[in-house]
Amino acid sequence: MSASAQLPDVEPRFFTRAQWAAFLVPTLVLALVLPLLNAALPAEHLLRPSDFTLNLYGKYATYAVLALGVDLLWGYLGILSLGQALFFALGGYAFGMHLLLMIGKDGQYKSDLPDYMVFLGYKALPGHWEPFYSFPFAAAAVLVVPALVAFVFGWLAFRSRIKGVYLSILTQALTYAAALLFFRNDFGFGGNNGFTDFKRVLGADLNSPATRRGLYLASVLLLAGVFLLYRWLTRAKFGHLMQAIRDGENRVLFSGYATARYKLFVFVLVAAITGVAGALYVPQVGIINPSEMTPEKSLEAVVWVAVGGRGTLLGPILGALFVNALKSWATRAAPELWLYIIGGLFIVVVLFLPGGLISLPAKFRAAWAKLRPPPPAPAAPAAPAGDLHP
Amino acid sequence: MHPILQAEDVTKTFDGFRAINALNFYLFPGELRTVIGPNGAGKSTFFDLLTGRAKPDTGGIEYSPIPDSPATDLTKLNEYEIQRLGIGRKFQTPSVFAEHTVFTNLVLSLKGPRGVFASLFHRLDSSARDRLDALLKLVRLDDKRHWKAGLLSHGEKQWLEIGMLLASEPRVLLVDEPAAGMTDEETHRTGELLLSLAGKHSIVVVEHDMSFVKQISVNGQVTVLHQGSVLCEGKFDDVQSHPKVREVYLGRGKN
Amino acid sequence: MYRILIYLTVVFYACIGRALAVEATPTVSPGRARLLAALLAPPAEQVAAIRGLVGVEDSAITPALTAWRAGELFLVPLPDGSRVPATLAPAPAGGDQLVALSVLDGSPIPDPNGPSGSSAPLLIAPKSLKPLDTTAPLRRAMRDVLEVAGVADPSASVRRESIERLGQSRKAEHLPLLQARLVIEQAPAVRSALGDAIAFIQLADADPAVRLAAIAALGEAHSLAAASRFKELLAATPPPSPAEAAALTAALKKIESHWKTVNFFGDLFRGLSAGSVLLLIALGLAITFGLMGVINMAHGELMVVGAYSTFVVQNLFVSAFGAESLAFHFYFIAALPVAFAAAALVGLGLERGIIQFLYKRPLESLLATWGVSLALQQTFRLVFGPANVQINAPAWLQGSASLNDVLFAYNRLFVIGFAALVVFGVWLALNRTSLGLLVRAVMQNRQMASCIGVRATRVNMFTFAFGSGLAGLAGACLSQLGNVGPGMGQLHIIDAFMVVVSGGVGNVLGSVAASLGIGTVDQLLQPILGAVMGKILVLFAIILFLQWRPGGLFPTRSRSLD
Repeated sequence: MSASAQLPDVEPRFFTRAQWAAFLVPTLVLALVLPLLNAALPAEHLLRPSDFTLNLYGKYATYAVLALGVDLLWGYLGILSLGQALFFALGGYAFGMHLLLMIGKDGQYKSDLPDYMVFLGYKALPGHWEPFYSFPFAAAAVLVVPALVAFVFGWLAFRSRIKGVYLSILTQALTYAAALLFFRNDFGFGGNNGFTDFKRVLGADLNSPATRRGLYLASVLLLAGVFLLYRWLTRAKFGHLMQAIRDGENRVLFSGYATARYKLFVFVLVAAITGVAGALYVPQVGIINPSEMTPEKSLEAVVWVAVGGRGTLLGPILGALFVNALKSWATRAAPELWLYIIGGLFIVVVLFLPGGLISLPAKFRAAWAKLRPPPPAPAAPAAPAGDLHP
Repeated sequence: MHPILQAEDVTKTFDGFRAINALNFYLFPGELRTVIGPNGAGKSTFFDLLTGRAKPDTGGIEYSPIPDSPATDLTKLNEYEIQRLGIGRKFQTPSVFAEHTVFTNLVLSLKGPRGVFASLFHRLDSSARDRLDALLKLVRLDDKRHWKAGLLSHGEKQWLEIGMLLASEPRVLLVDEPAAGMTDEETHRTGELLLSLAGKHSIVVVEHDMSFVKQISVNGQVTVLHQGSVLCEGKFDDVQSHPKVREVYLGRGKN
Repeated sequence: MYRILIYLTVVFYACIGRALAVEATPTVSPGRARLLAALLAPPAEQVAAIRGLVGVEDSAITPALTAWRAGELFLVPLPDGSRVPATLAPAPAGGDQLVALSVLDGSPIPDPNGPSGSSAPLLIAPKSLKPLDTTAPLRRAMRDVLEVAGVADPSASVRRESIERLGQSRKAEHLPLLQARLVIEQAPAVRSALGDAIAFIQLADADPAVRLAAIAALGEAHSLAAASRFKELLAATPPPSPAEAAALTAALKKIESHWKTVNFFGDLFRGLSAGSVLLLIALGLAITFGLMGVINMAHGELMVVGAYSTFVVQNLFVSAFGAESLAFHFYFIAALPVAFAAAALVGLGLERGIIQFLYKRPLESLLATWGVSLALQQTFRLVFGPANVQINAPAWLQGSASLNDVLFAYNRLFVIGFAALVVFGVWLALNRTSLGLLVRAVMQNRQMASCIGVRATRVNMFTFAFGSGLAGLAGACLSQLGNVGPGMGQLHIIDAFMVVVSGGVGNVLGSVAASLGIGTVDQLLQPILGAVMGKILVLFAIILFLQWRPGGLFPTRSRSLD
């Protein structure tokens, strides 16, 4: 066996010094420097990130959280869920209900009721809307509603050991059915127009640069927090079990683990976190409608992960940034080509780059190493104390 | 003596094919039982029934690890519940976690709480660490503890799986063709290991290799399965000279 | 016997009368003469003159009076001082001038000042003439005439409609006209409408016995209009007599139970046809999935390839034979093999280009085929435009047969028959051909099959192309039932996946059962729950079904773990 057959030293610590730096520097730049520059510098200053840029990055951060969830399920647990956009949108809708009520009488119809309700001839606010006047309630709903949907669906699906493409298709059908439901006016969530025209959040004007900075900051911090949480999850024994379930679920089952519970736990956790991302996404883009929960949206998130590199935590973030930057360029420069681009990305990544962008440096290194004479064989690595724990 | 594991009048049909037919089987505490039988005799299906992977159509399977206490009906339980009761299984084709290191494979198999939150906050204490070291030495994978399990040779994977089985400290070991893919020397060592485990554990070994069967059945009984039922049971030599067994095995190669 | 004789005599004379009337057209028929007189009569006499037209059979009356009521009838003055009633239309030569069309036969009125013998039409400057006046009593009179004119219309459907309208009006004065018509009417549908209308009017008859008979007759006839009238009568004040109320209730019950049955069978039929469509879509999917273990997300787009092929073949037929030709109606027959071939070809390319590299990675092939699906959708949009394209059904697929009030649309009947044929064909192909044997061998054990010399690559290629071709056939069929556009594939594909998931892998029979089941349940639920809720319920039913029978889908294999 050659040295490459052995695993590199397993790092017992959560982060090495270099990794901490690699984590903290971009986090600080994004969470501290950019908002400060935006707030302090005059509008035309060269170094000042524009309000638009901050808003865009905030949106991308929520996308990255969505992508991390897809990756945790797909890259680590082996569940390709095509319904993650549903959880994102459900969080968005739950928070959108609160934002809609916060418009108050400033809507087009100058009514206490949201505009679309006036338009559809509602006489009074439906009972289940009342509690959404409260911010804490709405915030809780952002977590609970997606988690609940995920729990019911996941419990049924994992219990009967549905997996692989079957599970993918059922999740796709779930989000499709939900989108159909939300598209209907009589379902009571604004039909295909959804919710829009939000005015304020927590009393602050949504259009003011300060509020936008706040939302951006919240999104970046959410992304950083979720990254740390998932890092911790995947490095615990729990994380090893997730990957074991991905590689051989039956073996895990015969080792005495109730794999369905593990899957359900991750599925529900990811749904709740994805819901929070959706809730932060909605005030930043100013609209939520059922097109956000179609299967296409879920698949788009999957392509972010595939392009970035699944089974890693950095890959999905890179992928979400890269593909969305590409999208905003393509939809302006050549809108008729966008579907070809994203379709082609799916094919190219699957066929030629299964590891995603994140695997490119290693590939280049390997190619480089081939070109150069082989270095002297390295000494066998010393055994560290343990793989799992410090 | 009361059997630790008993299957009575068990029948299992797949699409009209009777894989197990009115099978009776009793395993006593500390016993090392060898099960042989031609291909399609129902050996693997029998293990499936014992471990909850398949449910019998009729008949009962009971487990009573503690003498004189009520037995547990295994037909009502699923795979992980049966494993937690102390019945471990090694599969015919070695099934280890290929992407994990040898060490992690053993950690995941170590006896202990199996719940979601337990594995979230799990830490290895020093006694567990000692136990893992001992196991690694036992299965002779100490120097490869940080290898990806997928990179091990076939025989090494078999040993790793035996190690994983032992890590979970089962009362009953169900071992399906442990010697497949091993060199003669490795096979012999496996036999010695199994013999040393008998007494403390109750063991059922399914095997084709007759020299191996002869080695491990020095003190124990051999059960011959044929067409889903027990053809005969007894000492290795008695079984080998049994006319029916010879008839069944005639022209089937081994022995 | 005697009555039949009378009847025959009447029919005989009626026929002769008609023949004579046709013969008399070149001059002016008596009906037209009276119409002309009424149009030209002095205002004071017009009402009476128009009322005199009631029951007169002439095809010119209806258009003339309709135009008059709408204020589109003009009296064109001629140099000789006479006036000709006419409608105005833009001159075919263009320009602002209008031509006058005679109300009697719709022909242009020749210009009397033109060179003699020429047929140059009389041209009229717009707004130079005022439409013929109408007054409220005149309009009422015209309405009365129009109301009964339809009863004698040559078209059976017009007759039927106007008879139904007369029945709804419940005016006793129409009774003699309807009864007279019943004697000569031939068309069964019109006869039954006549019977209903007569009974409807007789509901208000002074004679209780006639009323009871009418109620019973309407109940027998399962008239829906009668049902709502019965409800009104039951709730009316003063209430009907006990005997009448009982008869009304009984008849109402009869009608309602009849229509419940009709609707049920109608839904069942629609469900069966929806299931057949689903089956056509899912069959190819089930075959490719059974062989490759790959869910082809572009399967919907392969279907669209079939639909657009139909569109192209249709256009070729139109340009080659013309849209009105007899040959046009057979374009669909020609389109079926073309659709199959086109989709199979695209499928072949897909298999060679992408899927063959991903046999061991089903999730990845799902993603790659999704990418293909997006690219194909955009291609459709660029080639055929983003809007739906127009596909005209051939005559033999239009309309419907009615059996005991249940309507069986021909296109739906065709789809059911065609699906049955395709299932039979697939069964034959899988079980009776050498390729089928190879396919089944590879399906059961890929490695073993290649060990014994089956060229799995070839089998994969052909099977995938075959499954794709089936999608093309489904698309061709679907083009006759719904819209054809770039996004059409996405509309049906999720349902098709559901069929494959619940029907089992590579199991033709399972797919048949699942698609018919899902299609029918969906259609039966729709009237109760609405289209969307029905779909959602079906989805949950499938998830629950999988709770009950996961083993049927994922059979456990022994020895090795996975």
